[in-house]
Amino acid sequence: MAHTAEIDAKEAWSGGQSPFRLSYGKMFMWFFLVSDALTFGGLLVSYGFIRHKYAEVWPKAEHVFTHFPFVEQHIPLAYVGLMTFILIMSSVTMVLAVEAGHRMDKKGVILWMFWTIVGGAAFVGSQAWEWYHFIVGTDAGALRNVWDPATGAYVKQIWHGANMITNEYGVPQFANYFFFITGFHGTHVFSGVVLNLVIFLNVIKGTYERRGHYEMVEKVGLYWHFVDLVWVFVFTFFYLL
Amino acid sequence: MSDFHDHYPNYEVMSNHDEEHGKKARRTLWNVFWVMLAITIFELVVGFMAPSKGWSGTWWLKTLFISLTVVKAAAIVLWFMHLGHEKKVFKYTILMPYIVFMFYLIFIVLTEGTYSGKGGRLAKIDPIFVEQQKALANGHHGGGEAGEHHEAAGEEAHH
Repeated sequence: MAHTAEIDAKEAWSGGQSPFRLSYGKMFMWFFLVSDALTFGGLLVSYGFIRHKYAEVWPKAEHVFTHFPFVEQHIPLAYVGLMTFILIMSSVTMVLAVEAGHRMDKKGVILWMFWTIVGGAAFVGSQAWEWYHFIVGTDAGALRNVWDPATGAYVKQIWHGANMITNEYGVPQFANYFFFITGFHGTHVFSGVVLNLVIFLNVIKGTYERRGHYEMVEKVGLYWHFVDLVWVFVFTFFYLL
Repeated sequence: MSDFHDHYPNYEVMSNHDEEHGKKARRTLWNVFWVMLAITIFELVVGFMAPSKGWSGTWWLKTLFISLTVVKAAAIVLWFMHLGHEKKVFKYTILMPYIVFMFYLIFIVLTEGTYSGKGGRLAKIDPIFVEQQKALANGHHGGGEAGEHHEAAGEEAHH
């Protein structure tokens, strides 16, 4: 950063110092995030591939995700819009916590990290709600050939909701990808909330005040923003397109 | 700290800011947030209107959504994750491998993906469901609300 003198490239790579002018902790958090981003990238590309393969029988998101809490009417996209808002908002509070840490403002870090954790927990809860409605399905349901293991044959019946084999919305792959990608993302959000909570308690205890810097807040912040970053893509490919 | 680490960057010196710097940083962050919020609301409004206007699945809508997503992603990485403030060599170390691999993967899917369409693609799909999709194109839908689906289904029939 601007605070340290510029070193020439030859000297920077001669050893004994970080040529990136970064601590190893932050650098390896970035490397981890790149590998994690490749995993999500691979998942989303394969989602696109399967969706293209079954294009004409792939359900439209605005027909599937129409529920909103306490509202009887079906409002497509509203709930996922709210979830997106919560996650972007918690990303902002996280970066404000990092910024407060740069000024050694312990109270500011506590305040903003608290709201980040609240936002993260709200998002995980919203996702649980979304999954619940996806699994339970609509009252009307849809007619399906359902495999009956007892008789070893397909039985024609009205099917409500979704599991990994049958769902009322569309091809089985639709539910499989929904469960896998939003589930994988939700797991990341959950672990992000846990990490944030650990660091939050350390901040309250004054660990980083004594250490002289709040770099740990910045590291969990990187992870938290990554979770938001992935959601931006999941939101587009699952709900908008 | 061992001797080896003595020349490592000193986080306190590098990253501790004064109040003046903090004010400026906060203003930037909030501006980024408002832009991202505006983009998201715009996406939702367009996504909400798409079925009735017959925009669903058009190439320009897909391009629009994907470009806006990339804009949002760039905002998160550059400002929220502060990659914009890191050294140039580090930016490329992070971004280049990812961009190269993802473009490669997308290229492979786009060029080889059509292969998957051959040989009875829908053979293993529940025939009832395939029938329902055909019925949907003719203005019927299995479950849920009616009005909007008719319009969406009507669109479907045009393709």
